[in-house]
Formats: sequence, structure tokens, C-alpha cells
Amino acid sequence: MITMGIDLGAKNVKVVILKDNKIVAKSNVLAGFEVKENAQKAIDIALKQAGISKDDLDKVVSTGAGEKLAPFYDETKSIVGCDSLGAVYLHPAARSVIDVGAEEGRGMRCDNTGKIIDFEVNEKCAAGAGAFTEAMSRALEVSLEELGPLALKSTQDIPMNAQCTVFAESEVVTMVHNKVSKADMSKAIHDAMASRISSMIRKIGFDKDVVLVGGVAKNIGFVTSLNKDLGLEVVVPKDPEYVGALGAALAAAGWKGGA
Amino acid sequence: MEQQAKYKTEKLKCWDEAKQIRMKYYQDYAEAHERGGIRWAGGAWTFDAIPAGLGDDVYPITSEPYSATVAFDKEFSLQCLEATEKKGYPRDLCSYMRNYWGSIITNKFAFGYKDGQFTPRFAGAKPLGFPKPDFIWQDHICCSHAKWYQTVSDLEGGIPMFTVDNAVGPANELTDSKIKYVVEQLKDGIKFLEKVTGRDYNDELLFKAIRNHFVSTSKWAEICEQNKAIPAPLDEKTIYSLYVLGTLQKAGKQVAYFYEKVLLPEVKERVKKGIAAVPNERFRVMSDTQPPWSFLSIFRYLETFGCISVGSLYTFGLIGQWEVKKDGTWGAKTIPDVEFSSRDQALYEYVKYELHKPEWQHFYSCHLKSDMMIRIAREWKLNGVMLHYNRGCEGLTVGIAENRLALLDAGFPVMAFEGNNADEREFDEARTKAKINAFMETLGAR
Amino acid sequence: MIEQFKEWEKNRHEYAKQWKENTRGKVMGYFCTYVPEELLYAAGVLPVRILGSHEPQDVTEPHIFAMFCPFCRDCLAQGLKNRYTYLDGLMIAQSCLHIRQAYTSWIKHRPVEFEKFLCMPHKVQSPHAYEFLTEEYKVFKKEVENWTGKEITDKALDDAINVYNENRRLMKKLYDLRKRDNPPLTGEEVMEVVIANQMTDKAEHNKELKKLITTLEKHTPEREVGSRLMILGSEDDDTVFMNMVEKCGATFVVDDHCTGSRYFWNEVKPGKDRLSSLAARYVDRIPCPSKDWEERKRIPHILQMCKDWRVNGVIIMQQKFCDPHELDFVAIKKALEDAGYPTLFLEFDVTVPVGQFKIRVEAFLEMIGEEDLF
Repeated sequence: MITMGIDLGAKNVKVVILKDNKIVAKSNVLAGFEVKENAQKAIDIALKQAGISKDDLDKVVSTGAGEKLAPFYDETKSIVGCDSLGAVYLHPAARSVIDVGAEEGRGMRCDNTGKIIDFEVNEKCAAGAGAFTEAMSRALEVSLEELGPLALKSTQDIPMNAQCTVFAESEVVTMVHNKVSKADMSKAIHDAMASRISSMIRKIGFDKDVVLVGGVAKNIGFVTSLNKDLGLEVVVPKDPEYVGALGAALAAAGWKGGA
Repeated sequence: MEQQAKYKTEKLKCWDEAKQIRMKYYQDYAEAHERGGIRWAGGAWTFDAIPAGLGDDVYPITSEPYSATVAFDKEFSLQCLEATEKKGYPRDLCSYMRNYWGSIITNKFAFGYKDGQFTPRFAGAKPLGFPKPDFIWQDHICCSHAKWYQTVSDLEGGIPMFTVDNAVGPANELTDSKIKYVVEQLKDGIKFLEKVTGRDYNDELLFKAIRNHFVSTSKWAEICEQNKAIPAPLDEKTIYSLYVLGTLQKAGKQVAYFYEKVLLPEVKERVKKGIAAVPNERFRVMSDTQPPWSFLSIFRYLETFGCISVGSLYTFGLIGQWEVKKDGTWGAKTIPDVEFSSRDQALYEYVKYELHKPEWQHFYSCHLKSDMMIRIAREWKLNGVMLHYNRGCEGLTVGIAENRLALLDAGFPVMAFEGNNADEREFDEARTKAKINAFMETLGAR
Repeated sequence: MIEQFKEWEKNRHEYAKQWKENTRGKVMGYFCTYVPEELLYAAGVLPVRILGSHEPQDVTEPHIFAMFCPFCRDCLAQGLKNRYTYLDGLMIAQSCLHIRQAYTSWIKHRPVEFEKFLCMPHKVQSPHAYEFLTEEYKVFKKEVENWTGKEITDKALDDAINVYNENRRLMKKLYDLRKRDNPPLTGEEVMEVVIANQMTDKAEHNKELKKLITTLEKHTPEREVGSRLMILGSEDDDTVFMNMVEKCGATFVVDDHCTGSRYFWNEVKPGKDRLSSLAARYVDRIPCPSKDWEERKRIPHILQMCKDWRVNGVIIMQQKFCDPHELDFVAIKKALEDAGYPTLFLEFDVTVPVGQFKIRVEAFLEMIGEEDLF
């Protein structure tokens, strides 16, 4: 059985193709303004990679903020459902999943089949999402890729008081005036963001097997702060940004846990 | 996604009558002066049987339902909210209050005349100016209650105002001293009313109004009790349009009559015949706090999954009065079997009864509310609960996060969504629907 | 001069633990200044006010929805982070809905031996509030007696009232010194004294206060006074903010905060019986806005303060989401401006960084200082 999952996120379109529940192709394209065209592009890349055509697909599930904008699909499934499905597939012990994307943070608890038991979404707030690190990297004048590793060089804890992206920017300005090192500022930024996310996760509760997915999972500075805050080591799967699309493809295949 | 109909359904027969009662209420208020009558303003929880003793031509306007009417009219609501902000009032205050103030500041009523017919503004009427009340008769349990009208009085250049403090503690700790504190205030209030209106107070009218109050609140609970049935005869969206009558004038005879003689028999009949509000009912949930009034469509969205909201502590307990019956379940409060012989005695009975209002208990402790919600979830046979984390109402949202934890502990899945009852700028419809989608997966409805 | 007070305020938990060890007595945490501390003090219980710690925190989200004030969440965080494990009791008197949630969540998730929601009436302007509150006190007194296992005698109550009244008189004397052209203490320093007052044994505080007042009577500080400011609004124990403003060329000479003058302004007046006198004190005190209706009685009080302390400008500190104050500040601002007192409105959070406020404060001081310049 060949299935495809499409995850139309706020910033990127991710596509995963499964053959008998094994990943055979994946692609990631910026969503931009022409979401539909770019989604098609992502699909084409993945199909090519898998060496199949659209007609070979048995079922397609679309998910994410723009799920209805996929050029074609058989069904939609919520992103929280897809995330937990994908996380349980990659890490069968996972019962708590955190997804930090460009504009939204999500937390969920699920059972061994990847079915959601409870979930929470960090709404309308960029301070707990990828957009925050983007804004902060601009304020610090370092690239987004450098921002995370920079935090690891920090030598002191500086609490970041502002809980909002706009105010945080001006707080960074104050820190610059106070000659705080960029490494310490970077850590302060990641601590503040981790605090947002752990606050959300505490609301639904978590156990020891926490899987972190979404693009921001690749940010080592954030992961370090989050681990410290939660008092555990979160599991970051390889290619964390594809987990939603993977879950969608698994849902299309009717996968419910197990091999 | 659309589910097969499992049950028969039909429209509520008394629907139009309920609508007429509501429209006449606002018309009576607006036109009171033309007929030499009196009009007054106060909250939906105020002791409205008291001003009734001033005569049969005394017409109230209650603030919360009026503001919900404004909120329903998105364009007008935005004008009101912005006018209030312009005056310097913060945006995070009670959104009902801000709509209400805005209606005064813009001097526009949500109703007017269209071809000589009294009609809502959104239905094409040219709005009247805001009809200024002769006096304010308010109660206070939420921090915003008395302060709401303090500001109304400021905005209107001073209106005589009397507020009764009814925050005397939970019903399970009621004492004689607590009841008397409220009674004494009501007696002072009567003197105040006589003074500002120049009228003599009529105790017989008071007694009748208290009777009406008993009937309205007890019968409303009995109506809600019918919704324990599967399929539920009423859905929450319909309940909103019916319970509102109690928020307008619970001590009014038209409301008492409608609940007891019209609506209750019809709902009972529906249960007997198995008539469902939602023909594809498969999953039952309840909500909490006021809904985002301009997005009631989310309830229709639920129905596409075969999911019905059968009510809430808010709709059941804001007007309804309840008691624990012999078998341990919740049922309508028994109407006190007393003859009224004096003003003091009638007021005492009135206060003693009213202080049991379920929606007043959580002001003292969220845990009391959790217990009631779990009770409803069990007795109304629910699959889950949707909690509206309502930024527009601190009074009903107080303690809601603890309610969530308690419901989860009791084994009920909970979906929490943020919004605002009367400021649509704070409600994200697309995100909420996405949340519902995920919640339906949790319930197994998808 | 104020080192001892500062020491108490900074090490509040150590103080309470030490007090417990020395006296073998019970410690009662309380929210909101409507709690009749005299009754507890008479029972040999140390009342300590629960305040926040001004750190960012992420433990209260499951318990209090984010639309409620940061202060109530900060207070609850102290409980959840186990900083008050030495408390034997926890109580609140009915005031605003926000802080009530800190109490209700706390007693569920960090249970204590004795808990109490005291039904302080809202309509303090009603003549019936006195009797009602007296009755509530009677019940409360019995509950405390049952808890501690000993009777609260008339003498103990008289002594407690005397200690508290003495404290109030001394505090007022301290505030009176600030009327001088060159106030002997800054607003920041006074804030330390008042906050320490809410978490220490009053007898001990009195002793230290007397010493302080004696010293201050002949003390003239070197610093520039600058503009004379009043600060008013929500709960505010943000010494960092006070420090920042007073470094910009200004001095806070008076305040209307529950963490300031409102806490101690009114004395218990001897009357027909002790509990009624006590009740009258709490009914008649300068009100929290949540109880200031139908008339706004705080306004004339604030204007009088401005006059007596010769204030040049007023900073209105509005705790984010604090509805009772939000419902008053428009009227207060208008009254102040009509009376010729310029105002600066600031919305603060328990963790707001000073950097952003500094610019606004500087501009405000420049504005009100203009007359002196030209």
C-alpha cells in the first residue's frame, strides 16, 4: 500500500510517502504566498524521489494549518493527531509529544496507538514558536542557525522578563545597552521560549518519554533550555519537521501502532 | 462527515412566542416613558422582584443579555467597543460591560423602528438613542458588577443607583446573619426606590413578583432536567434563546408563565415522543461560560460530527435553581410552600432561596463548581466537555483551569478553547474548528 | 537605616521559620489586606502576607487562566514551588476574584492544616456591613480557637489591637516625615519598610520603627529631591521600579497601594465590643477599588494626599488585567488632572523590565519639571 501525507504548515509544506509503512520519499518546500503551487512542487519532488506517479497513491491525507489548500487529498486529519501518530511510529514509548513550529506550539498526550488523549495549543502568541527565534536572531544580528549553538556558550542566567515577542525585542535592546554578551542573551531567549512551552505542557501533564518534533526541534539552544526546564531529556527524532506529514501518511495507511 | 439521522426531529413550537416575549421586553423598556411608566437598569442577577413593587408599569433592561444582543450585531458591537476604548477604558475588561458602555457613549440602542415595527438594528431598524434609565438597581458578586454601573452613572451624568451585595458565601454555609445582611439591604433599597420615584411601594406586587421568580427559576431547571434524556430534546444553541428570557425578567409573569405552561410541557412531550434536537446525536458534551455570541456556528459544526452540546452549568444554573433529590440526583428546586404575610418575611424567603443559585457558588470556590460540573457530566451522560476560556468574563471564567483538571480527573475528556463572549476580535474561528476536529478524534467521533 | 527592614523583606521565609522555632507558634499565610490580622495575632499566630517573587514562572498555567493578573499567578507560583512549606494555615478575605484563585488552587494542591475564606462584605458603604462582618468574625474566632486549642481572651485581643494600632500610628508618623521639603527616606526605602511590615511580628517591627523614626527626625539626606511624586494603583511591591524612578530625578513622597498606605492607614477605634470595633476598622478603611462603590470614596482621599504631601505628579501603576483598578483609573486620572496633577499611566506585569519604563518616566519628569526650567 502506498500512501502520502501532506503537512501544510505556516511556513513550509512537508510531504512524506510511505510504502507498506516504510518511508520512501520526503520533501520540504517553503509555502510562500502561492501555497497551492508550492504544495504541488513538494508533492512532485516526493513522487519523483519515490519513483512513482500520482496514480500509484492509494490514499492521501492532508494536515496542518493549510490542510484544505493541498492540491488533492482524500481526507484531512488534525495536526495534533498526525503529530502523535508520527511520534509513536518513530518512538513507540512516546506518550507525550511537543511540536514547535513556525507560528504555533502544540503539546499532546496520546496512547500507544497514537490516539490523542489531551492536547493544548499555544494560541496567538509568537513567543512560544519559531517566529520568536527568528525575530530574536534579527535583534541580535546573528543568523538563525547560529542562534541555538550560541546559547550553549553562555556563562550566566539572565531572566527574560517580557513574555511577548515585541517587548522581548526591546528587552534585548536594553540588554545590549547593559553589555550583556550575545551568548547570554541567546540563552535568555531560549529559556524564555522553553518556559512558554513547558508552561503549556504542564497544563496537560507529561511523563518521561517526551518526543519533540517540528522545525524548532533542530535548535540545540532551545532543546537544552527545554530539557533543563522539564527536568528530562526530550527525544528528538531525525528530521523532526517531517513528523506531521509522516503521521498523515500513516493515518492514510490506517496505521495504529505496532510494526 | 455528515452522519445518518438516528432520531426524528422537529422545530420547537413555542419558538416564535419566546422571540416575541423578548422583543416586547425591549420595546416596553424603550417606550415606558411614553406611557408614563418607569424604566430601570441592572444586571441579569439583580433582585428584580423588588422594583416590581413600584407598579405594573415598571420596565427593566438587564445589562448582560442586552450586551449579548449588541455583540451579536458585529458591526455595531465594534463601534461600541471602539468608542469605549477611545474613552480610555481598557480592552481586557468585561466585554459585555464595554458593549453596554459603548451603546451609551455612541447613544445608539440596539433596537429601533422599521416601517413602524420595533426591530433590532441589525434587521434594518434605524437605532433609537440609548433610553436612559430612571434608576439603577444592581447586585454585586462579580468584581465588575457595581463598578459597571458606577461608570454608567458617570457616563450619563449621574443616575440614582442602588447595589445589593449578595456575595455572602456559599449556600452550604448559609446562616441567618448572612441572609439578614442581604434582606436589610433590600429593605434599604425599597426606601431608595420610593425616594427616587416618588411612588408608594406595594407589597402585594412584591409578593407576586417573588412568586413569579420561584416559578421561573424552578421550572427552568425542570426544563433543563429533561435534557438528561437520550436523545436530548434541546440543544444548547436553542437553550441560549430560551434561558435568555429568565435573564431578562425572572420575576416577570410572562416569563414564569412561558416556562411553566408553554415550554416545559412541550419539552416533556418531545422526550415522551423521542424527538431529538439533533437527529444524528451520537456524542454528548457540555460547554461552559457564555459562548462567543457571534460564533454560535461552532455548535452547528459539532453537529456535523453527530455531537450535541446538551447545555452547561452556565445555562442550567444561571437562572435555574436546583436541589439534590432523594435518589441523589440533581432536580429542580422545590418551590417554597409559604404564604407571604409581611415584607420582611417575604424578603427573607426570597433571599434564602436565591442564595442557592448554582452560578453564584463558584465565586467562592472553583471546587464547588467542579463538583457541579462533574455531576452534570455524569447525570446528563456526557462523553466530554468543552470549556470556553472566556476572556470577556472574569466572573464566569474564574477558576476554569481548576475545573478542567477536576473534570479530567473524573475521567471526562476536555477541550479548552480561548475566546470572548462579546468581543469577536478575540475569537479565532478557524483555530477553534481545528481544535474541535482534534477533539472529535479524541472522542472517537472522527 | 533600613537594613533591618530590607533584611526581613529579602529573607522573609527564613524570618518566619525562625519565628516558628523560637515561639513554637503557628504561621498563617494570607492574601489581601482585608484579613483581620489582629485576631490571629491575639491567638499567637504570625500572619504573613503572601507576595510574589518577580521571577518569570511557568508552573501556574494549569491552574489559573492567563487572563487573570500576573500577581495572583506569581503568588500561586510561590506555593507550587514549595517556598511556603512552613505555613500551618492559609486564608483570604473576600476581595477580588483574581487573587481568590491563588488561594483556591493553593489549598487544593498544597493543603494546609487550617484554611479559611473569610466573607468580607463587598458593600462596605452599607450600614449593615458592620454587623454582618462582626458575625463572620465571631465564627472565625471560634475556628481559630479550635485550631490553636486555646481561647482568644479579651486581654489578648486588646493587646493585639494595641500593637497593631501602635504600628499604624508609627507608620503614619513615618509618612508624615515625608512631607518635608527634603524627605528623609526615598519611596523605595519606605516600600521596604511597609512590605517587611506585612510579614513580621508587629511588636518587633514597632521597635525597629521607633528607632528609625528617631534617626530620621534629625536626618537630612544628601540626594536631590527632584519632582515629588505619588504612586498609586494595584498591588505593587516592585522596589526595582521605585529605584529606577528615583534615580531619574524624583522622589516618591506618598502612595495609595495595598502594599503601602492602604495597609495601615486606619486604626481600630475602641467601641461597644472588640469584634465590632475590629469589624468597623476593616469596613471603614481606605477601600480596595473592588469595594469602593457606589460612591468612589478613594478619590477625595487621594486628592487630599496630593495636597498634604505637595505632590507634583502621580504615577498610576496598573497591574495588567487587574479589573478593579482598571474600573477606577479613568475616574481617578480625570479627578487628578482636573485638580492640576499630571499623571503617568503605566501598565505593569510582575516581571516588566525597567528599561521600557525608564524612557516614559524620564519624559514624564521632563514634562512636569518644565515650569522649573523656564
